[in-house]
Amino acid sequence: MQIIDALVSLFQESGFAHLAWQNWVMIAISFGLLYLAIVKKYEPLLLLPIAFGMLLVNIYPDIMYDPLAIATPGGEVIDASAHWYDSGVLRLIYCGVKSSIFPCLIFLGVGAMTDFGPLLANPSSLLLGAAAQLGIYVAFLIACATNLIPGYEGFTALEAAAIAIIGGADGPTAIYLTGKLAPHLLGPIAVAAYSYMALIPLIQPPIMKLLTTEKERKIKMEQLRTVSKAEKIIFPIVVTVICVLVIPSTAPLIGMLMLGNLFKESGVTDRLSDTAQNALCNIVTIMLGVTVGATAEGKTFLAFKTVLVVVIGLIAFMFSTAGGVLFAKLMNVITKGRVNPLIGSAGVSAVPMAARVSQVEGRKYNPSNFLLMHAMGPNVAGVIGSAVAAGFLLSRFG
Amino acid sequence: MTNTLLKQTISMGEALSVSVTGIIVVMIILALLAVIVVLLSKAIRAVESKTRKKNAGKVDEKVLSPVVKETKKNNSLKALPETQSIGSLDLYKTDEKTAAIIMAIVSNESGIPLNRLQFNSIKLIEE
Repeated sequence: MQIIDALVSLFQESGFAHLAWQNWVMIAISFGLLYLAIVKKYEPLLLLPIAFGMLLVNIYPDIMYDPLAIATPGGEVIDASAHWYDSGVLRLIYCGVKSSIFPCLIFLGVGAMTDFGPLLANPSSLLLGAAAQLGIYVAFLIACATNLIPGYEGFTALEAAAIAIIGGADGPTAIYLTGKLAPHLLGPIAVAAYSYMALIPLIQPPIMKLLTTEKERKIKMEQLRTVSKAEKIIFPIVVTVICVLVIPSTAPLIGMLMLGNLFKESGVTDRLSDTAQNALCNIVTIMLGVTVGATAEGKTFLAFKTVLVVVIGLIAFMFSTAGGVLFAKLMNVITKGRVNPLIGSAGVSAVPMAARVSQVEGRKYNPSNFLLMHAMGPNVAGVIGSAVAAGFLLSRFG
Repeated sequence: MTNTLLKQTISMGEALSVSVTGIIVVMIILALLAVIVVLLSKAIRAVESKTRKKNAGKVDEKVLSPVVKETKKNNSLKALPETQSIGSLDLYKTDEKTAAIIMAIVSNESGIPLNRLQFNSIKLIEE
């Protein structure tokens, strides 16, 4: 009998007895994301840790246990005697996300990995990077319009701004802004942003094809000029000064991005550049990915709001792509046929995935066409554009 | 906008105003950056051009890309036909046909005949 009692007790303490149906659904979703990351190789460096964090938290929700959790919007603390070190282990690491340290460090690494040469060779790329932020503002409008849904209270302005940034196609920026404006939506927004970034090769081509003619897709662009070392060194300094002076709230993102780039381009801090783009970036990616995935706990994640976030996020991506392509068409008209509109879609900042899509699509219609470097200009401009857009939303609502 | 209002939904008029302002702000800042980049590039190239003229005797070691160098040192290259390249090439997980296509594309895109290009290695980057 003692053995049976022990087995019953063991079962009662196991996850099988405690997990809600929502946790099981999320476990199944995490399996799907793991499949996409490992087998389909969709952004595996991010998707795999996110999916595993999602799996962990839904099997053992206490891994994100927060003893200092606020019980009411008024700030009532559940247990005043609780200590921060009683938190679940992933909750402790999650402090790096909540405090915005991780997104900023990722931007440092991205800066150290980015070559702004194509953008400097063709400065009009910056306009494409700006036009491809259209989805952010369309998504903001749609999120605000959700209060028109009968029986639904809709998103607040802060939530709408956080959801809108998915249209920037920039994971760290989305996490940074959401952490500041609507931390309770961090899970759905991060998962939506990274999932859509991974799915860019599926989302963008139909829109690119719809908005361009075959003749435009065949346009061959002139070779870019060589950019001098001095230009590459001065650029990050100038961008930091201009952007931060105009919108001071862009300082954490733009500042770290450009610091990383200066490490790379200055040529005197090779060790720092190497650390930023490899070791540091990888360490932060692991911690950020796992803990962001761990915010997707079934009971809170599976809600109508999450569905809306996912749908609005997709619309935002589509409009950003369309904004970039349409602006590139306009530039093509102005320059009398010297700009292939396919490079416009790369203005969404998913580097370098979006630029690769432009290259692949361009070659389908003209096998001798090489759009990759032309598309890298708008692509890296999109990183600056989405950081500026996030800074604007933060200054407006933060 | 007060904090209390920010915790509530906003009207479509306000939302439209924020959206239009937002896209205009992003456009203006990035356009401003574009203008500054153009001006800076011109200034830097002018300074570099003056410096080059001063040092006219020195050889301009212009690197076209990280992996492809235009070979000028070896005079024997001039004897090669334009469809042939010089030196040995290491292939990593790349077949010869693909390598030949890549070399032809680089030559075509850069406008430099193959006999003036030297490829050191072609490597398949697996993601």
